[in-house]
Amino acid sequence: MSMFGFGGVQGPTSAQKIAAAEAELEMVTDMFNRLTSSCFKKCVPKDYRESELNKGESVCLDRCVAKFFEVNVKVSEQMQSQAASRQGGAPGAGGMFGM
Amino acid sequence: MDGLTAAEQREFQAVVERRQMREFMTMYSNLVQRCFDDCVTDFTSKTMNNKEEGCISKCVEKWLKGSERMGQRFAEQNAAMMQSGGSLGGAGR
Repeated sequence: MSMFGFGGVQGPTSAQKIAAAEAELEMVTDMFNRLTSSCFKKCVPKDYRESELNKGESVCLDRCVAKFFEVNVKVSEQMQSQAASRQGGAPGAGGMFGM
Repeated sequence: MDGLTAAEQREFQAVVERRQMREFMTMYSNLVQRCFDDCVTDFTSKTMNNKEEGCISKCVEKWLKGSERMGQRFAEQNAAMMQSGGSLGGAGR
């Protein structure tokens, strides 16, 4: 019997597969919510002069989204290489992104 | 989301719909908070003045337009990331 549902003879159960899909959805939604509130704060002045997004705000939002992804990748890469370099001395440490 | 059977997909769809309602309520309350904080600053009266009302409606409209735009960019970035073999968690799964 496999402990985490992976690598077992019969593979993950339906409930486990759905839970995994839900966890992924949760992660993406959470990231989207944090991204939107952060980029809106950075790009749109609080005085709300008009209800349209102007050119500058629109371009800022586009770039902000792209950069948020870039930061995501950078942080993840750095954490993975940290975890990898620590693997030798302290086995079992830093399992979070090392799946 | 790849290896689900048709029955599992239906079950997951139900989960998604339940979450969407919750997401909507969260978005709504965050928007109230944001626009209240940014627009309502005068407490010499217990009703909103014209300036505050105008600000609120622009705040709401701008947020909706902005989040739609960010949603489009998000989807594009996400698709590009999938194509290059990564996933949001950073670990290639």
